[in-house]
Amino acid sequence: MERIAISVAALFAAVLVGGAFVFVSGGVASCRSGLDIAGVTFCYNPMQVFYELFLGALGNPLQGGWSPTNLSLAKTLQQTTLLIFAGLSVAVAFRAGLLNIGTQGQLVIGGFVTAITVVFAESIVPGGLVGMLVLIPLGVLAGAIGGGLYGAIPGALKAYADANEVITTIMLNFVAVGITSTLLSWQFQDNNSTTAQTAPVPEYAEVPTIPYIGFDERVDFSLLALGFAVVLMLGIAWLFSRTSFGYELRTSGIQPAAAAYGGVDEKRMTVATMSLSGALGGVAGAFWVLMVHGRWLKNVPSIGFDGIAVSVLAGSNPLGVGASAFLFGMLDSGKSAIGSATNVPPDLVGILSGLIILFVAMPEFFRMIGTRYVDVRSPKPARADGGSVPDDNNKVADESGGEDDA
Amino acid sequence: MRKRFRRTREFIGRHPRAASLSAVAIVLAFLWATPASWQTSTLRLAVPIALAAIGGIFAEKSGVINIGIEGLLIVSAFSSIIAVYWLGDGGATMGVSNLWWGLLVGILVSVLFALIFAIVCIEFKADQIIAGLAIWLISLGLAPFASRIVFGSPNTASVARFGSVTVPGLSEIPIVGYLLFDTEPQVYLMLAGTLAGWYLLSRTTFGRWVVASGENPKALDTAGVDVRKVRYAAVLLSGVFAGLGGAGFALGTLGTFAGGGDTAINGRGFIAIATYLLANYHPVGAVLSSFLFAGLNSLQTALQSAGYAIPTELIRTIPHMSVIVVLVLVGRTRLPDAAGDHYESGED
Amino acid sequence: MTKPGPGTTDGAELAAGSEVDTADRGTRTGETGTDLAVHLDGITKRFPGVVANDDVDLRVERGSVHALLGENGAGKTTLMNVLYGLYEPEAGRVVVDGTERGFGSPQDAIDAGIGMIHQHFMLVDSMTVAENIALGNEPTKWFGMAVDREQIAREIDDLCDRYGFDVDPEATVEDLSVGVQQRVEILKALFRGTDVLILDEPTAVLTPQEVEDLYDVLDELTAQGKTVIFITHKLEEATHAADAITILRDGESVGTVAPERTDREDLAERMVGREVLLEVDADPVTTGKVVLSTRNVAVEDARGVDVVSGIDLDVRAGEIVGIAGVDGNGQAELIEAITGLRTPDAGTIAYEGTDITDWSRRRRIDAGMSYIPEDRHERGLVMPFDLVENSILGSQRSPEFAADGRIDWTAVRDHTDDLIDTYDVRPPDADADASSFSGGNQQKFIVGREFERDPSLVIATYPTRGVDIGSTEFIHDRLLELRREGVAIVLVSSKLDEVQALSDRLAVMYEGEFIDVTDPDAITEEELGLLMAGQQVDETGKGASDAGTVGTNGGESR
Repeated sequence: MERIAISVAALFAAVLVGGAFVFVSGGVASCRSGLDIAGVTFCYNPMQVFYELFLGALGNPLQGGWSPTNLSLAKTLQQTTLLIFAGLSVAVAFRAGLLNIGTQGQLVIGGFVTAITVVFAESIVPGGLVGMLVLIPLGVLAGAIGGGLYGAIPGALKAYADANEVITTIMLNFVAVGITSTLLSWQFQDNNSTTAQTAPVPEYAEVPTIPYIGFDERVDFSLLALGFAVVLMLGIAWLFSRTSFGYELRTSGIQPAAAAYGGVDEKRMTVATMSLSGALGGVAGAFWVLMVHGRWLKNVPSIGFDGIAVSVLAGSNPLGVGASAFLFGMLDSGKSAIGSATNVPPDLVGILSGLIILFVAMPEFFRMIGTRYVDVRSPKPARADGGSVPDDNNKVADESGGEDDA
Repeated sequence: MRKRFRRTREFIGRHPRAASLSAVAIVLAFLWATPASWQTSTLRLAVPIALAAIGGIFAEKSGVINIGIEGLLIVSAFSSIIAVYWLGDGGATMGVSNLWWGLLVGILVSVLFALIFAIVCIEFKADQIIAGLAIWLISLGLAPFASRIVFGSPNTASVARFGSVTVPGLSEIPIVGYLLFDTEPQVYLMLAGTLAGWYLLSRTTFGRWVVASGENPKALDTAGVDVRKVRYAAVLLSGVFAGLGGAGFALGTLGTFAGGGDTAINGRGFIAIATYLLANYHPVGAVLSSFLFAGLNSLQTALQSAGYAIPTELIRTIPHMSVIVVLVLVGRTRLPDAAGDHYESGED
Repeated sequence: MTKPGPGTTDGAELAAGSEVDTADRGTRTGETGTDLAVHLDGITKRFPGVVANDDVDLRVERGSVHALLGENGAGKTTLMNVLYGLYEPEAGRVVVDGTERGFGSPQDAIDAGIGMIHQHFMLVDSMTVAENIALGNEPTKWFGMAVDREQIAREIDDLCDRYGFDVDPEATVEDLSVGVQQRVEILKALFRGTDVLILDEPTAVLTPQEVEDLYDVLDELTAQGKTVIFITHKLEEATHAADAITILRDGESVGTVAPERTDREDLAERMVGREVLLEVDADPVTTGKVVLSTRNVAVEDARGVDVVSGIDLDVRAGEIVGIAGVDGNGQAELIEAITGLRTPDAGTIAYEGTDITDWSRRRRIDAGMSYIPEDRHERGLVMPFDLVENSILGSQRSPEFAADGRIDWTAVRDHTDDLIDTYDVRPPDADADASSFSGGNQQKFIVGREFERDPSLVIATYPTRGVDIGSTEFIHDRLLELRREGVAIVLVSSKLDEVQALSDRLAVMYEGEFIDVTDPDAITEEELGLLMAGQQVDETGKGASDAGTVGTNGGESR
């Protein structure tokens, strides 16, 4: 419960700080009309920015003629789908105590492998429905394997060479771009285009939409893909809570010494977790290729980095990842709404995700505010402050433990 | 191989003097064997890495792992360019070149971000790694955001860069003279910052407190020194060094700042972290090993301009790959015992 | 024995018990008396849910050694932390040198001439002795621009001369023995002009010889007019070294006595509140086949130094083999090698006749090896997990609870409830996080989990650490019951009475080797102490010639 409260509070704090920041930076920007205070013209209205950002992402439901299948919402859900995969990728690693910052790189590699595999297999596999049934699972599998292997590298380096995974995964993100671009220009460039991209996958290999639920055609979004993401999300949640592997993974993340005591092979667990995490990143890449573009482009958006934000906001809880991914999907889709409806640079969204991570990282801040708020309102500490009560218990236990060891 | 490497590092830890002498010998040998243009370019490319590494050493030695140092490089770099642009490219304010004002602004902005990071970590007990990532991600968004507001594009306009300053007499010294005494201000600042960082850490009271704060904060606390203040000072200092590095790099080498994607800093802050891990937290060692990465970087540029048919994209990642190789060889570095841990006075 | 009610003051207890109060020597006026170095008056300190100190009085005469005696958790350390400014008391006065002081921080206490040496040394391992001694108090030169290292060296030399210490100021602390590190701590306190020195359990990590040296140091300190307060739970130390003893029990002061006016039994009774008996029924041992057998096992530490070497150990079904020794003599590493948490650098380990040297921890657990770890907060329990989840730590893949990789939480919960019931874990709440339980209840839970695994070998390290006396007896009974059932048991403990009473054979470990293997009934505690200090005792005979061998025959003495 407290986790959710902190995430929500962090979100509001980030919006608040982001809003103040937008307002202030509006004083620097130049524009024709704006709010004049003390001779400075403030061009941006934070209220309008966030209105566009959040409601725009849903297709402005407060205005007339809104339909749930509108373009903006389709775009939001499209991003949500990809972010669920990326968020799960990060969450799986975080839960095991591994800070996988390399989901981006795993996504780049996974997507690339998906694209070239499907393009290659196209010549062997028959077309039409059969092709669809073969190529899509094949493509996703290829992405998962590609991303998984690429994730296994930092895992193995961590397990067998003690190389810090935060640094290696960040470096591998750079390397992934280098490798794929080189391969692209060497062999896989689409010769009919000047854009750096692979040849397109056949149309029947793109994730199909469900007939009769007509999301806006201009956005490549498939409810089937979202459904798959949700199923995967439930699967990961089940893995964590109901299986021996999940139990061992969580134990490793909380107390590695206890996991070793309980018979968990730390090295293997590290490699397995990073492979799983990488595979999920690869799946995100596969869907980016098969659902969104139908090909791999050199210019990969930062879905993997957003996955970090998604997972942090969700407290690395797989079910939380769903809600969190939707939120960041809105931010992503709202980006274009800001871009078209206001003059505020859409890069604001990047700053916002950073702020959200920053605030989620400091639960103590909200506990302090919570405690103060509760103290002012009532003489007795109330349950509203979920944080301090169990905390005090911990302290007592720790203290008695400390004395025992005398 | 790895074991030998580790032994070497331990040797460096135990015999800093012998280690630095041999390091100097190796550097001299390199200087003798390599072309001057490559050396100059290496020194200039080392500026952000070396200074960020020294800053990172202070923060991490005090027990606060500052993984957001990449973010500090980014914000100081673009803010210094914007400052120069606003004050007037090529002009001077109050008799001082606007470039110097830009440098100052870059440092201040970096310190401001370091302060936010310090408050979040020390006051609100945030997870240092996550908070550091947040600082990085905020900076990644902030750079193009600010550029778009000021210049209407994610890349800033170009400004004039620092010119070379020749120290008369000293620049005539054979082998090292032209390198160390006929160069740009940011390189002088890097060299001076290295010495200052080393002196501060190893010779002053503050340096000892920093080390104690990272190794055993309780020992420092019971000795009557406020651990929080020491950590604040160390993190702010990391902001100063990183700011110097980022702004110096932008104003001395780049002259412009590309804010798209990974920005013009392109992971140099993370390379700096690998650099000081390689050097076992020794400031001088960190600067020397930053030459390794910077050297690879300038080698890549040299190869590219020489027109070798080598895939440029892959070549560009050579420094990044070498970071991984170095980490594998170094293995687990002995972090300060309390690095990453929050410290609260009075807890038992 | 009289059980003083709450609020009983020092004076009242004196009237009832007719012991000599130190304050009786002419200074009943308390804080106005000039030769009281420290007077704590009615100190009360509460933590959430616990009253750690309840109206405690303490009068310490200048130039004396004052022992603060009590069981773990009696509030000794809390009281001293109040004196040292780490805690602020809810009630009571702190009077130093006749002046009432309010210490907001350790710095205030240091300024008032109070120094504290914590049980865990407050030293920076990677720094030199001189750097540690001066830390926080460095003299500077060049207008504060540099640490004046020459002056530090001079002052340390002076101190060493004055108190007869032999410490190399340039040595790195991590290279020093624990005894020398303690001396560095004392020097550190003296360096900043300490008059009153508080020592928290100073002998816990020392060998008997180092303890003797410490007594000499204390004598030297008081001879030079310093005052020493030391915290201990060991009766001998209090009677041996102190000029006066104040006993704490459950946060209350039970009186102050002079050591020459009391004896161990009396002190023990006051400490525990009832008569103390440690009696274990000693069935004759009927041993079966060898369950655990190690040959020439050696373990290196990270720096490549042997911390365990040449260990030969055989443990048969139905016997308890005790391993005694001062902490840090390789017991932990040996146990890790046996339990599979560490790969030995040499030698072989066999289990029920099979070589298991290369087996993973997982396989060893599955084969029936139970292990009560030394550190329950790090290893034994996952602190943020509830008891249900903790109850399968180690058996998370056993067919009983997770037949096909899926955990059957219903079965696990039943198992947890059984454990809580049988081992009297309080409060009996299976859904509470492990961190919310007291140390003793955490320990009972771990012991239960490991004992109920149906093991054929139990490795029990410090199984009763932090557990109350009633539960200690219960755990001892269960250990003996397992022995009767034919389980092989290795018992590691620093409590000599415990290993002596329970073990059928006793191996003494010193600097990574078995210095001797004896019949615990045929050796006195003094002899055991000497062995632990590394001295061979010829009278105990048998093992002396081939020290380090615990053969099945070598150690048998019945």
